[in-house]
Amino acid sequence: MFSRIGYALRETWASFRRNLTLTAAAILTSAVSLLLVGTTFLIQRAFENLLVQWRGDVEMIVFVRSDASAEQIGLIDSVLRSAPTIIDVNKLAYLNKTESYEEAKRIFVGDPVTLSLLSPESIPTQFKVVPLSDDPQLVRSLSDQYRTLPGVEAVALAEDEFEVISTLSNFIRVVTLVMSLVLLAVAVGLIWNTIRTAMFARRREIEVMKLVGATNWFIRVPFMLEGLLQGLLGGVVSCGGLWALNSAWTNGVAGFKPGTGISSLIVPSSYLTSVMLILLGIGAVVGAVGSAIAATRFLDV
Amino acid sequence: MIRLENVTKIYGSETVAVRDASFDIPKGQFVFLVGPSGSGKSTLLRLINRQEQPERGDVWVAGRNINDLPASRVPILRRSMGNVFQDYKLLLNKTVFENVAFSLEVIGKPRHVIERQVPAVLELVGLADKQGRFPEQLSGGEQQRVSIARAFVNRPLILLADEPTGNLDPTTSEGIMGLLDKINETGTTVVMATHDHRVVNAMRRRVIQMDHGVIVRDQERGVYE
Repeated sequence: MFSRIGYALRETWASFRRNLTLTAAAILTSAVSLLLVGTTFLIQRAFENLLVQWRGDVEMIVFVRSDASAEQIGLIDSVLRSAPTIIDVNKLAYLNKTESYEEAKRIFVGDPVTLSLLSPESIPTQFKVVPLSDDPQLVRSLSDQYRTLPGVEAVALAEDEFEVISTLSNFIRVVTLVMSLVLLAVAVGLIWNTIRTAMFARRREIEVMKLVGATNWFIRVPFMLEGLLQGLLGGVVSCGGLWALNSAWTNGVAGFKPGTGISSLIVPSSYLTSVMLILLGIGAVVGAVGSAIAATRFLDV
Repeated sequence: MIRLENVTKIYGSETVAVRDASFDIPKGQFVFLVGPSGSGKSTLLRLINRQEQPERGDVWVAGRNINDLPASRVPILRRSMGNVFQDYKLLLNKTVFENVAFSLEVIGKPRHVIERQVPAVLELVGLADKQGRFPEQLSGGEQQRVSIARAFVNRPLILLADEPTGNLDPTTSEGIMGLLDKINETGTTVVMATHDHRVVNAMRRRVIQMDHGVIVRDQERGVYE
């Protein structure tokens, strides 16, 4: 048993070194594609911070002064509910101070100065409004009406704040996703090709192995390990790249003026860690599966 | 030990390599397959070690119909056979010792078995003093001895040899035949395809003659003709 494991590892390493150029190409390609996959994850997560307050088709937010009385809040609520043809009253939601503060923590994740000015006591509460109507003019005229109500601090419209960001984030997400899928396919192709080359270089050995009765798995395993190693190394490189990219971005964002929204585009490090683990997993699976298919195909020839 | 029953092998759609071949080789026998190039000798050997499967008929090895053998059992079958080729098929980047050890390594034999059996078989083929050489540092006859050592190190029931003297001069061939004879005397069944008149006539063993894929003669203690 140990001699078999030793054999597989020795052969993997020898073959790995023999095709260094192709191996490097396969590793780099999978690293770049995995880096793009990771970047897609991060971008998506970062934009979610910015868009968290608009989640679920919310088009209008009515901010209520933190010192508003319960009667004032009740009045605003009943006014909102008095337009059931324009506003979806079933989806009308009120976020109290604790909930609003939780949300603010995500919005101002990269802007500790602004966050420190807020507290669960001083923060405005908010009504999230989902309109039934598609007519922006109608929603806008409603918002002008709400602004004059007692206790209302401000009314924000999605149209003003978020359409551009939303479009931008969708665009970036699609572009990076498509590019990473294309590159991932290229990486599989390159790994496949290195394995084929490695097997071609050793076809005589493989022929002898088959004739003396080595099992197909015995012949295949070193090649699979080689592919797995390539994918995994690609994953490691991409993790390094992703970490560097994220650090540079986080540092850069800290220099932006507070309140521009850019400072929301930050991901927590726990999320970064799980993305890295996912990348390592994808790399390993892609490498092992690609090489297993290649090895099986060329073993039977 | 080896039995063919009405075996026909067709390559592609119409090239008939072997037509309706039947024979029975008992354990421990030494058999020559003779005939001109392309007469189907090599195909018969490839049918016996299941590198090929016949279109019709059955191939029995050690009491088993190997046509029914699932692909996963083929390695087990091959471990009971040794193969020797005209071009030796040695691995040039491995030493004599490593070449022979390789065939034990890849079937998972432990190190201590390898270190006992490899020197013993190299002693048998007369290469005990050349364990550390590489194949290219050896003569053709010596390389063929290495390949025989590799085929025999696992003590197979059957040794299949395809033109083992094809690249060798008469004197060297004699030595190789002596070695195959010695292996046969240990009880190993030997099937050797050849068109070398001299070795067939010198040995006077069973001769199966092929012509255009058909067995035209099967004779005990025969000559080449």
